[in-house]
Amino acid sequence: MEHGAGGHEIGVHNLAHFAGLTFNMDTLMMTWLTMAIVIVLAVLATRRIELVPRGWQNVLELAVSALLEQIEATIGPKGKKLAAFIITLFLFLLISNWLGLIPGFTSPTNDLNTTLGLALLVVVMVHVLGMANRGPIKYLKHFFEPYIPFVFINIIEEIAKPVTLAFRLFGNIFAGEVLLLVLGMLLPYVIPTAWLAFSVFVGVIQAFIFTMLSMSYLANSLKDEQH
Amino acid sequence: MIDINGTLLAQIFNFLILVAILAKFAYKPLMKGLADRQTQIISNIETAEREKAEAAALKREYQQQLMAARTEAQAIVEKARKLAEESKEEILAEARTEHARLLKAAQAEIARERDLAVAELKGEVVTLSLAAATKIIGRNLDASANSKLVNEFIEKLDEKKIGGLPC
Repeated sequence: MEHGAGGHEIGVHNLAHFAGLTFNMDTLMMTWLTMAIVIVLAVLATRRIELVPRGWQNVLELAVSALLEQIEATIGPKGKKLAAFIITLFLFLLISNWLGLIPGFTSPTNDLNTTLGLALLVVVMVHVLGMANRGPIKYLKHFFEPYIPFVFINIIEEIAKPVTLAFRLFGNIFAGEVLLLVLGMLLPYVIPTAWLAFSVFVGVIQAFIFTMLSMSYLANSLKDEQH
Repeated sequence: MIDINGTLLAQIFNFLILVAILAKFAYKPLMKGLADRQTQIISNIETAEREKAEAAALKREYQQQLMAARTEAQAIVEKARKLAEESKEEILAEARTEHARLLKAAQAEIARERDLAVAELKGEVVTLSLAAATKIIGRNLDASANSKLVNEFIEKLDEKKIGGLPC
């Protein structure tokens, strides 16, 4: 797939080779841009924390409070340690999803590398936290419950987790951008604009779904004995 | 199109950096702000509740004081009325006593005056009788004999006329 041309043609990447690995430079650029936007927004919103919130602080606090509430509800008191991770995940995905809606930019999340990377990160965290929480032997044992043959089902489930997470987000955002371009070429202004507005909504929903599912996976591994 | 390559690792790395940066520069101050606000709100609510309770207690106290003041005013008015009643009785009694005393004094005076008048009249009658007697008899007895004579006459006169009652 080495087309090399066109910075924002969907699914086509500028490639760079470094240390024996191949990198999609446009995805990385967009990721860095997203990171910069997230950092700027977060720092702007929290530079002067005021007792009575104003402006950006209000917006960010609204999102953070809602997420904290969800974390508290699904994970419990242990979720406090993961709150920063989960909130960052949501903000990053939200800005990523929206970035591709601006002409000339693409979403970092329209690259499977990004979504799969994040999904794998979440799954690795799930297993590591699970082992740390319950002890490695006990944690591994629960894959063989209730009967030993269930191990196959459990392993498929564990593999399905990152795959579904990654492909759902990737598919939604990628398809959204493809459709946006196609509609733009085929139809007058009104319909692409309507689709654009809908994509804004889809961006929020997908970021939210990814975050919520990650949260519930993490909650499972952080839960105490009963589940 | 969906080729997995080194970007995956880079993205994980990127995201972890983002988490670290946000945790340090945004998450901590935000959490602190939220916690501060929570404590502030809790303390505000507590203060408000305490002040409300204080106000209620104060109101109750004032009402009690008002009630007490009203009762006291009633008592004072009652007392004043009773005092006035007593004063009236006293003044009336005094006036009655004074009246009785004055009446008695006046009566005593009248009696005294009458006695005096009778005595004077008696003297006058003696003198007049003597003068008349002197003229009639044509000779003058000595004064003591005269008086004796007239007095005897008057004594007899009295006995005869009024039946022996002293004047």
